[in-house]
Amino acid sequence: MNRHRVAPLAALIFALVLAFATPRQVTGQDGKTSYPSMASLEQYLMPRDAEIAMARSAAPESISHDATVLVLGRHGYETAVEGKNGFVCAVERGWMSPADAPEFWNPKLRGPICFNPPAARSVLPTTYKRTEMVLAGKTKAEIIDGNKEAFERGELPALEPGAMSYMMSKEAYLTDHGDHNLAHLMFYTPPLDGAVWGADLPKSPVMLNPQFKGVQPIDVFVVPVGRWSDGTAAEVM
Amino acid sequence: MKAVADWRNKVNSHRFTTVAFLVLTFVMVLEAREMSSQDAKTKYPHMAAVEEYLMADRNAEIALARSAAPESISHDATVLVLGQHGYETAVEGRNGFVCVVDRSWMLPFDNPEFWNPKVRLPACMNPPGARFHLPLTFKATGLALSGVSNNEMLDRLKAAYNNKELPLPENGSMCYMMSKRQYFADNVGNAGDSHLMFWFAQGEHMAWGADSPDSPIDVHQYSPQPITEFSISVAKWSDGTVARTNQH
Repeated sequence: MNRHRVAPLAALIFALVLAFATPRQVTGQDGKTSYPSMASLEQYLMPRDAEIAMARSAAPESISHDATVLVLGRHGYETAVEGKNGFVCAVERGWMSPADAPEFWNPKLRGPICFNPPAARSVLPTTYKRTEMVLAGKTKAEIIDGNKEAFERGELPALEPGAMSYMMSKEAYLTDHGDHNLAHLMFYTPPLDGAVWGADLPKSPVMLNPQFKGVQPIDVFVVPVGRWSDGTAAEVM
Repeated sequence: MKAVADWRNKVNSHRFTTVAFLVLTFVMVLEAREMSSQDAKTKYPHMAAVEEYLMADRNAEIALARSAAPESISHDATVLVLGQHGYETAVEGRNGFVCVVDRSWMLPFDNPEFWNPKVRLPACMNPPGARFHLPLTFKATGLALSGVSNNEMLDRLKAAYNNKELPLPENGSMCYMMSKRQYFADNVGNAGDSHLMFWFAQGEHMAWGADSPDSPIDVHQYSPQPITEFSISVAKWSDGTVARTNQH
């Protein structure tokens, strides 16, 4: 029973997939859209001010107000606002999904996220790396391999203790499925057996997100919270 | 003009009354809280009789301990119960989790209910959490049952950490506290929130945005234990029913 609940949720949470531009978007036999490759870059971009606001909406204002804010431009993420509390907020796109995520290229995906300082130093560089490869026109397989190789070559930092992030934006679009969204926190740890946290068990509030599985030695544990960043109640499955 | 002046006077008078009322209410609330805290200090100045901390029904304590986590976790966990001489293993588990009902002496040392015998804090620790936290629970419980004061307990625990007799949290140390039957304090009873706790060694800069307005995260710096504890409020009790979430 719980597996049915967890699967779409897991797909949803990490999520960022990208869809394709209209000409390359595919509708499968089940009537659902699939995203076999990257859409046109424009579909992943958004107006700068809207992106700043969306990025900040990932965390309560008390945190995001003084955070550094990044926006995605044609040549990668750029700093739109210099912060002063060490948090970094950005809107991730589909290519930060797990390697096998069907929505990896879904251009509608928007994952507002605010990284705490340890995560900004040790997890965010992977976002930069993958985005750089996306904008260079690499395929999904090349991006995943490139991510893995970059870590192995020491171009990406080791995970710092205490790394976590907020994903509590009401405006997030994490998947085409269900409600498209979930208010949650993410905790990054060195690889642990998911059972060590009691993840993905019936009625457990902890889920293991395979975001970096097979690519980097990072486990991501997701804990849904009952509130959006603005303090209003959020439904929790 | 006079009408305007009269109206202004009326408004100002009304404002004054409102402000005075709010100030008075605020002061009364503060005083009530202070009195409540003083009451607790007066009420629980030292340890009560050991029997008051024990649960007569061993099975009830096992059930309460297990209620800290969803059954899918606690069913196969080791369960401890408190006896006259300390915690005893009541159920041998097989998933590495350990469920236990902590007593009031696991509260912060400055908590006025440090010796409140009604306090019941069911927790299910994951394997790294158990390896770190159980030695602390056993040590503190041993000291409490031996009749030391909380000041002496504080000094002994401090020395135990300084001498490295007690371990620091391992990577991934956490526990579930999702029992709807937990009893945190007289003023909240079992109306506390359902939450998870994560432990880290102090000394690392742990900026989690905890205790910020609208953040679902609380932070507690243990003392004398060199430990940082984050508490994440979750939306359900261990039985899957909806819980009130704590938010700043």
